[in-house]
Amino acid sequence: MKYSDAEAKYFKRFGRWKIILILLTLTLISTITLAVTIGPMQIQPLDVLKVIVKNLPLLGTFVKGGSLPLQEAVVIQVRLPRILAAAIVGVALAVAGVVLQGLLRNPMADPYVIGISAGASLGASLTITFGIGFSLLGVLNSVPLMAFITALCTVSIVYNIARKGGGVPMLTLLLVGVAVNSFLLAVISFIEMVSGEALHVIIFWILGSFAVCNWNYVKIALPFVTVGVVLIYVFARDLNIILLGEEQAHHLGVDTERLKKIMLACASLITAAAVSISGIIGFIGLIIPHITRILVGPDHRILIPSSALAGAIVLILCDTIARTIIRPAELPVGIITSLLGCPFFIYLLRERKGSAIW
Amino acid sequence: MVTLRISGIDCNYGSIKALDNVTFSVRGGEFIGILGPNGSGKTTLLRAISRTLKPRVGTVFLDDINIYDMKSREVAKNVAVVPQETIATFDFTALDIVLMGRNPYLDRFRTESKEDIAIARKAMELTNTWHLAERPVNELSGGEKQLVIIARALTQETRVLLLDEPTTHLDINHQISIMDILRGICKEKELVVLAVFHDFNLAARYCDSAMLLNNGRIFSIGPLDAVLTGENIRKVFQVNMIVKRHPITNLLYIVPLSTSRSKITPSKDMIVHIICGGGTGASVMKTLLEQGYGVTTGVLNTLDTDYDAACTLGIPVVNEAPFSPITEEAHKANLAMIEKASVIVVGNVPFGYGNLKNLEAAKVALERGKTIIVVEETPIQQRDFTNGRAQNLLSELKSKGAIVVESCGEALSKLETLENELLQKS
Repeated sequence: MKYSDAEAKYFKRFGRWKIILILLTLTLISTITLAVTIGPMQIQPLDVLKVIVKNLPLLGTFVKGGSLPLQEAVVIQVRLPRILAAAIVGVALAVAGVVLQGLLRNPMADPYVIGISAGASLGASLTITFGIGFSLLGVLNSVPLMAFITALCTVSIVYNIARKGGGVPMLTLLLVGVAVNSFLLAVISFIEMVSGEALHVIIFWILGSFAVCNWNYVKIALPFVTVGVVLIYVFARDLNIILLGEEQAHHLGVDTERLKKIMLACASLITAAAVSISGIIGFIGLIIPHITRILVGPDHRILIPSSALAGAIVLILCDTIARTIIRPAELPVGIITSLLGCPFFIYLLRERKGSAIW
Repeated sequence: MVTLRISGIDCNYGSIKALDNVTFSVRGGEFIGILGPNGSGKTTLLRAISRTLKPRVGTVFLDDINIYDMKSREVAKNVAVVPQETIATFDFTALDIVLMGRNPYLDRFRTESKEDIAIARKAMELTNTWHLAERPVNELSGGEKQLVIIARALTQETRVLLLDEPTTHLDINHQISIMDILRGICKEKELVVLAVFHDFNLAARYCDSAMLLNNGRIFSIGPLDAVLTGENIRKVFQVNMIVKRHPITNLLYIVPLSTSRSKITPSKDMIVHIICGGGTGASVMKTLLEQGYGVTTGVLNTLDTDYDAACTLGIPVVNEAPFSPITEEAHKANLAMIEKASVIVVGNVPFGYGNLKNLEAAKVALERGKTIIVVEETPIQQRDFTNGRAQNLLSELKSKGAIVVESCGEALSKLETLENELLQKS
């Protein structure tokens, strides 16, 4: 049998995927390096690399040359944790967005649609307003912890309300999510009203920022996001198939109810982890999946890793702008993502007028 | 050879019973058509067999293995489904979609191998879709998309294939080619094929046997000519059908006549007797019946088209043995029937020595004071095969006051005016 074009091309795509991922990884590394150089104190990119490598286990012993104590302090203690936190949150939001858009087969879905943002905001604003101060193992203060807990509680409430018989109809889940979101927003507005001086803190938290991120935040969020994203990637092919509808996915051997459960749990967990350290950063979870889909196609086996990398890159860039544009003050990064993201996304949509984006 | 056994299944949607104690079994290589009115449970039956909807009672066995004990992937290796329509979102290519049929065979961390692609390619070549392999499915036409979905079902390499009105949205060309392909595969690979149809003729053409569902129960199951009878269809669909074998293809063909609700007792007092033959009267009979007239006809030879029509329509008819001249006996019976009628319509029928008696009957009727309407679409000279005797009889009728019209339509409007006059008189 002649080895035809279509077959050859099908296998070529795996090679293309590798190239895409390598390019995105290189871009991410350069973005991190670049972002670390920018700030009140200019640091040379080479110095940045030197400092980073020096602090890595094993590799560190190979770095020679003079020490740069000041630069090292700024890079390691201030900038790097913040940038890595942005990367982790970017990965989490983008991947959760991919999963929810796929599961709900709805282009308007984002990680917040099933109540995570409102739940987290509720926990955060309660904690801030009533000054509930405690810390877990002395590494994390109470706001992210409460936000994480209330976010997961909200999702599980939404899930259980939407549950019917043995399964969860996705459309019901979406509607319940919208309803619970609105309800909680009303509660949050009320808390803001009575919060007095804490109002500013609440608003700043809800708009999203990495200003307070230190290594502890990174250490807390990283395991959740890593496990969640890896687990989601494992189910990439199932996510492709469920795009044809649950009934057809079922006919093709996908245990749809189990898939939905695992995917919702993973997406909720990584989103909650992200939100609890950064606040509610909008738009990343909505547009990164779309942009990536336009660029690499709809196959989740490439869509998930490339969205993850793109989410990290974009959020690092946005955070860099947020912390430098009105120096010495800072803008909430959520403002930047939406201000820059919307026009770019609309431009992409217009460019692709001819064929369906979805 | 595989055996699919459906054992006493009941399915409910909430409190509504969709299937009621459905039991049957099918062997590999059999192509079964499922027919029934909307809401009779056809799609539900397929959903139960594909394990999409768990029956409340009963279960489905595949070679004595309960499919509800199998894993999802195991079921997908054995049962493939082609739905009515697939809404394709996203820009997956046709090959991507077809390769999804390999999903039940692929381990979680494996990508498709060359063998998988080869299987997909074979299925696509079989369904004539290989040339579409790289096209995004959402740019394909409805028929092409359906062919791609069928290729995907074949790529699953199952032993059972369930089709839910697979060709409803397709043009006649695609319908025929898809069904040809499916039937071929059914026979070649000894698959069990269950297909839901709305089109009786398509079912009659491609199925080995048929199942009629009504209100969630099996009304009838078995060979085509035992199941698809006019009687069964009337009971299940409340529609009168003509069920015949086509003279050229020798396949059953089924044509709806009218809903049986309109085939009621005549609403008008007027009885019209029709003299016809060879198909000249069938449509007039149907129209008059629908307009509420009492209709009779005769004498007609058995096997004559008009005789069949009269029987199907349930019209009283005086008949004669096939291809035989009208006997004195039949003639008398005809006169007796004419006696009850108030109007006699003489159709545009050719007259030979065999049916000349019908014209004589018309003459008798005229003499007894009945109204005669003669339809003369073609001049009598061209359809007189009696050396002028028919011509003479006809001109005698005309001279004695028979109404002459040029078409059946005109005859119908004449009837209407006659009826109105009668009504006014009374």
